[in-house]
Amino acid sequence: MSDRIIFEDVSKFYGEILGVNRVNLSVPPGITALVGPNGSGKTTLMNLMTGLVRPSRGRVQVLGYRTDDPENLFKIVGYSTQFDSFPKGLTGFEFLYSFLRLTGEDSAICQQMAWRAIERVNMGEAASRKVAGYSKGMRQRIRLAQALAHDPKVLVLDEPLNGLDPLARAEMIALFRSAAAQGCYVIISSHILHEVDVISDQVILLSNGYVVAEGQIQSVRSEIQEHPTEIMIRCNRPRELAAKMFEAEHAIEISIHKDEHGLLLKTRDSDRFYLALNDLARNGIEIESIAPADDDVLSVYEYLIGNDEVVR
Amino acid sequence: MNRIWWAQIKAVIRLEFRKTLFARRGLWIYVLAILPVLLYIAFAFAVANRQHHSEGIARRGEKTLTYQDLTAVRSGMTKDQVIAILGKAPVASHWTEDRPVENGQKVKIAHEDLQYSDGRSDLYLGVADGKVDYVALNSSNDLGQDATMFAGVFQFFFLRLAIFFGCLGIFMNLFRGEILDRSLHFYFLAPVRRDVLMTGKFLAGLLATCTIFVTSEILQTGTFLWHFTAAEQNIYLYHNHGLEHAAIYAGVTVLACVGYGAFFLVAGMVFRNPIAPAAAALIWEGINPFLPNILKQFSIIYYLKSLCPVEIPVAPGTSPFFALLVSNAEPISAPLAILGVLVVACIALYISAVQVRRMEVNYTTE
Repeated sequence: MSDRIIFEDVSKFYGEILGVNRVNLSVPPGITALVGPNGSGKTTLMNLMTGLVRPSRGRVQVLGYRTDDPENLFKIVGYSTQFDSFPKGLTGFEFLYSFLRLTGEDSAICQQMAWRAIERVNMGEAASRKVAGYSKGMRQRIRLAQALAHDPKVLVLDEPLNGLDPLARAEMIALFRSAAAQGCYVIISSHILHEVDVISDQVILLSNGYVVAEGQIQSVRSEIQEHPTEIMIRCNRPRELAAKMFEAEHAIEISIHKDEHGLLLKTRDSDRFYLALNDLARNGIEIESIAPADDDVLSVYEYLIGNDEVVR
Repeated sequence: MNRIWWAQIKAVIRLEFRKTLFARRGLWIYVLAILPVLLYIAFAFAVANRQHHSEGIARRGEKTLTYQDLTAVRSGMTKDQVIAILGKAPVASHWTEDRPVENGQKVKIAHEDLQYSDGRSDLYLGVADGKVDYVALNSSNDLGQDATMFAGVFQFFFLRLAIFFGCLGIFMNLFRGEILDRSLHFYFLAPVRRDVLMTGKFLAGLLATCTIFVTSEILQTGTFLWHFTAAEQNIYLYHNHGLEHAAIYAGVTVLACVGYGAFFLVAGMVFRNPIAPAAAALIWEGINPFLPNILKQFSIIYYLKSLCPVEIPVAPGTSPFFALLVSNAEPISAPLAILGVLVVACIALYISAVQVRRMEVNYTTE
C-alpha cells in the first residue's frame, strides 16, 4: 500500500479544453498547497484526486486506492469543494448527519460524529438553522465540517479560507496544522499566498494546466537560476558591508535599508555570499540577522508564473 | 446483500423520499394523479342527479315499477299492452310524421315517446302508430358498464399519461435535477458505491411514485363505487371480482412505476433534455399495437395491457385502426407479463449502473 498521493502522467481534457496535462506528482503527508492563477488546473487536480472527474489519460492513486472506488476512497478522503450548493431543506446538523449516514454507520454514531465536526468548525449555535440561511463564511465552515466529519486521512480543501473572517481563518489554519501534525495529508488550494506560505510544507505551482514546480518552497526557489537570490542582512555598518560585498564580485545589486541598520542584497551565488560573510563577520561588522527575502511562495509564484493574479 | 450497502440504501431513501414527495416542482404530478379521482367524483354527482330525476319520474307513475317490469316490454307490443304492464307513462310526448309512400303520397304516422322509471333505471319507448318500435333501457347503476369505463380511464389516462409523466418528472430528476441544482457532489463525496447510490435513488423514486399513484388508484376505486348502494358495492367487491380487480390495478400501477421509473432513470443520466426521450417513449408506447411482435416486447405498455383485468370491448363499427389501439390482440400470460416488465426494468437499471459509474461532476458543462 502506497503512502503517497500519486499522479502518473495524468491529463484531463474537457472536450477540447485542457484541464491539466501530463501531471506527475507524488504528494507526501503534511500540508501541500496548490498554487496557480484561475484556470491553471487546481480544482481539476482536486477533482481528479477525489474521482469527481476521471483522467483522460494516466492514473491517480490516493494512498493506494483507485479514485474510481468511492466506497473505499472516501473512507480516507474528505473533500471540501468550491461548489456552493447543498441538498435542499436541511439544517447544518442534518446536512452532516445525512452525509455521515451514507457511510452506513448507526444513527447514534453519526449524530456523535456530526456534533464533533460541528464543534471543530465552531458552528454549534447555527447547527439547527437551515443551511440556505447561512452566510458565505458559515457555508464554507459547514463544508469543512463535512470534509472533516469522518476523520479522513486525506483532506482535500478547495479554497478553504474563502469567505472566512480573520478569526475564523486563524482557527481553520490551526485546524489544518493540527491535522497535518497528526500525519494527515492536507491538500489546499488558495489564492491567498501569504497564508499558503505560512501554513504549507510543500507547494505545487500550476500554470495553464501544467505543474511548473513542486516540492518544499526553499528547494523550489533554489532551482530558479534566472532570478538572483535576495538576502536581507541586519547589521551595524551596512554601507561598509555593501562595499565589501561588491568587492567579492558575486553581488549584483545592493540597497541600504532606510534605517541604516540593514541591507538587501541580490546575488547569483548564495554559497559564495555565505562564505564571504563569515570573513566579514570576523572583521568586526556585527551581523544581527540574515534571512532569505525571496524564498517564499509569493516570490516563487512571481518568478515562475507572474504576478497578475497574486493576492498578497 | 452487504449490510453496509443496505444501510447506505436506506440512508439514500430517507433523504430522497422526503425530497421527492414534498418537492414544489413536483406538484403537477399530484394533479395528474388526482385527476381520475376528480373525474369519478364528478361522475358520482352526475349519477346522483340523474337518479334524483329518475326517482321523480317513478313517483309520478301510476304503478310502482320494478326492474323486471321495465325489461318485460318488447318491440312490437301495442301501447295498450305496455300500459297493462307499466301503467300510464309519467312522461310522454307526441308528434306526427309525414312518411312518404309510393306515388309521391305521404301518410301521417302518430308517434309517442314514453318514459318510465323504477327510480334507478329509465325505460325509453318509441311508439309509432300504436306499436312499440324502439326500446332503450338506461341504468344509472350498471356496474359492468362502469367497470369498463374504469378500465378505459385506467389504461388510456392513468397508465399512459399520469404514471408515464409522473415517473418522467420524478425519476428523471433523481440525477438530472441534482446536476442542475449543483448538489450531486454531496452523494459522490460519500463512501458509497455509485451503483448502491443509484439503487437507493431508484427505490426512493419507486416508493414515492407508488405512494402517489397507488393511493390515487385506491381513491379511484373508492370514488368509482361511491354512487352505488352498500349492497351493490358488497356484491361487486366480494362476489364479482371487484376487490381482485382493484388489487390487480394496484399491482399494474406498481409495475408501471417500476418499468417507466427504470426507463426514465437511465434517460435522465443519458440525456440533458428530458423532452426528446419523453416524446420518443410516448410515441413508442403509443404505436406499440402496430409494431411487430419482437419489437412489442421492448415496451412497457405491452406487458401492462396484458395484465389489466377488464378487456375494453370494441364497439361494432369501430375502425380497425382504433380497434387495434383499444384491444390487446396478443395478450400474454400474467407471469410472462410481470417477468417482461421486470426484465425491461433490469436492462434499464443495468445501463443506469454503468452510466452512474462513469458520471463526472462537471456542472459548468451542463
